[in-house]
Amino acid sequence: MSARLSRTLRQVLTIARRDFTATVFTPVFLLFLFAPVIMGGFGAIGGAGASSVAGSGRDRARVVAIVPDALARSYAEADARLRAVFRDDAARPALTTLHPTADPAAQARAAFSARDYDAAAVLYGPAEAPVILRAPQDAPSARYLALLSREALADRRLGAQAPRVIAREVDFVRAGNTAGDRDQSAFFAVFGVFFLTLFLAGQVVGTMAEERNNKVVEVLAAAVPLEAVFLGKLLGLFGVAVMFVAFWGTVLAQLSQLVPPSVSAGLASLTPAVGGDAFAILFFAYFTTAYLLLGSVFLGVGAQASTMREIQMLSLPITVIQVGMFALSTAAARAPGSPLARFAELFPLSSPFAMAGRAANRPEIWPHLAALAWQLGWVALFIGVGARLFRRGVLQSGSPGGRWFRWRTKAAAGT
Amino acid sequence: MNGLAVEARGLVKRFGDRRVVDGVDLAVPRGAIYGVLGPNGAGKTTTLRMLLGIIEPDGGARRLFDAAHPSDASDRVGYLPEERGLYPAMKAREAIAFMGALRGLPWREGRARAVAMLEGAGLGHAADTKIRKLSKGMAQLVQLLGSVVHRPDLLVLDEPFSGLDPVNQEKLEALIVAERDRGATILFSTHVMAHAERLCDRLAIIAGGRRRFEGTVDDARGTLPARVRYVPRGDGDMAPLLPPDAVRDGPGDGDAWRFALPSDGVEPVLARVMAAGAGIAGLSIERPGLHEAFVRIVGDAETAGADGPPPPGPSATDDAGSMPSDAASSVARAPAAGAPAA
Repeated sequence: MSARLSRTLRQVLTIARRDFTATVFTPVFLLFLFAPVIMGGFGAIGGAGASSVAGSGRDRARVVAIVPDALARSYAEADARLRAVFRDDAARPALTTLHPTADPAAQARAAFSARDYDAAAVLYGPAEAPVILRAPQDAPSARYLALLSREALADRRLGAQAPRVIAREVDFVRAGNTAGDRDQSAFFAVFGVFFLTLFLAGQVVGTMAEERNNKVVEVLAAAVPLEAVFLGKLLGLFGVAVMFVAFWGTVLAQLSQLVPPSVSAGLASLTPAVGGDAFAILFFAYFTTAYLLLGSVFLGVGAQASTMREIQMLSLPITVIQVGMFALSTAAARAPGSPLARFAELFPLSSPFAMAGRAANRPEIWPHLAALAWQLGWVALFIGVGARLFRRGVLQSGSPGGRWFRWRTKAAAGT
Repeated sequence: MNGLAVEARGLVKRFGDRRVVDGVDLAVPRGAIYGVLGPNGAGKTTTLRMLLGIIEPDGGARRLFDAAHPSDASDRVGYLPEERGLYPAMKAREAIAFMGALRGLPWREGRARAVAMLEGAGLGHAADTKIRKLSKGMAQLVQLLGSVVHRPDLLVLDEPFSGLDPVNQEKLEALIVAERDRGATILFSTHVMAHAERLCDRLAIIAGGRRRFEGTVDDARGTLPARVRYVPRGDGDMAPLLPPDAVRDGPGDGDAWRFALPSDGVEPVLARVMAAGAGIAGLSIERPGLHEAFVRIVGDAETAGADGPPPPGPSATDDAGSMPSDAASSVARAPAAGAPAA
């Protein structure tokens, strides 16, 4: 028994080694390794362009108050006070005050056609009951003008009697993490596992095509059980994925030293419920099982495809499956302990994502051990089924049993 | 433990509604060169694939050495499939080492042996050349070396000579003999009789998915009677003096007559001829080649059709619980009248 196990292990590693070296020691691998740079580069260019367009629009936007000069100063002071409350990206457009003409209503309408600014909202009329014109999507700017109006009027009426409050701000570090922090950690965990598998597991789908096209599959099948071939190929490409993750993990770890302290503090607040070290181990374990689970399904399905065109056709349903599992797991992470979360944790293809989210939400460790065993059991099952389908459908072994097989055989004969 | 490297009993394989292999029995003695002969589509490759465990039979049993399943003996087997297959991006040396590693040979040892074998085959210069840059014949040779690099006890070659030029065919024949001399058992399929005639210690002929013959090359040739070629000295009418099947050759062959060697020998015929005063200008007894025997056996099988009765052979006569292990020949169809016993 142990001799057979040892032989199978040796065969698996032989296949894995071949696939790993055949993938890594090629110029194309460099392109694959640096794909995130290319992706990030395009993202940065697109983001910078969009930000520039949005920024220029924001710079020209204004809230306009058509008020007498005497009141304009109170508006400006109130605007300065209120503006300090908002973050830059949440602040309302800058304030412009205009001296009223004989027809303030017409003047307000004309302000929307001004050449040197884009009016988001325009206030005119008596201070106690102003009229505010606004663009349909700029209700917050209109409300801001109303608030400004109230503040300015109060300042004007109370003058020096207006109460002044001087608050003292003291830094306070919370002892535990909040529910919001845990939710965020869970989301990042789910997203992290999803992102990595989306990026890496899909390449497994076409891996048997090489053997089929080169007729090497006959040599492999004569020497090694097909299950070992499948597992070996899966592990070989998982090795490539680990290399990819290790490379970018190292790069990001170095880059993190350049991150501003405020961002570092924000990231530090994302403390998962099981603790940082356990979470890191579980994250890698769930990345492994997610890769193996999805990879074994993709490998089994892809092995049935005989042409590159068929393999390419499979990429859409594969992406849909992955995104579906991500959506299910994200929903589960938002509702820990719910029936939906339990379903996502048990359903084999979403289990690694959902359990990674659970590691951020809940402190118990034992469910993770059970989940990992459960997921690896499904990996074995998927590999077994994939090899069986390959043996029957491609190598034409075993009795033609199922209706599907007969249909496929007839279809193949017809073509 | 018996003296057989490969045993098959009643192997059946169906593809759809067609029985591609229909109850094939094989018994390959250890250390022998054993040929599986048959026309295209006879079921040779399917039989070999079942023996190796690449595909599972729908019926029957097979055993390599004493392993319950072929995969249990895979480290002792080398295999060259009909459709050659190598990774194009691999170097020749690595490809051989990889095939050895699949069969349990350590990589380092495999690389060392690969270099030596390539040099021995005159391909030492190509050790670090990628497969895609080799000619088809060279790549085929590399794959062949890969199938023996781990020094298997059983070497299975499916149509090994196809695609090779005469020089490489001779190299391959030498390699097969060398492997046999090393102690390996060779099982190969072919439909080229010349190779089988030169190499095989024993052979089986498969046609229509069934084994039609099993025995030595001489046994196969013995399924046809020897032919007598007789040239009379005079011009008289010889037909009444010769056996009923005697036919006169066309012009240009010295008025020769040909007939099957009678079961009681040629002497009674010669006595009649001499008594009639016809004389003997020429006489020879010609034994048929494997080619003729093959054509005849396969032709008989095709005439009988695939639905004919199962061929007599070890599987039909042995006890149900034992694998065929005799070395006696068996012929699927009864030999033609007048044929001598094998």
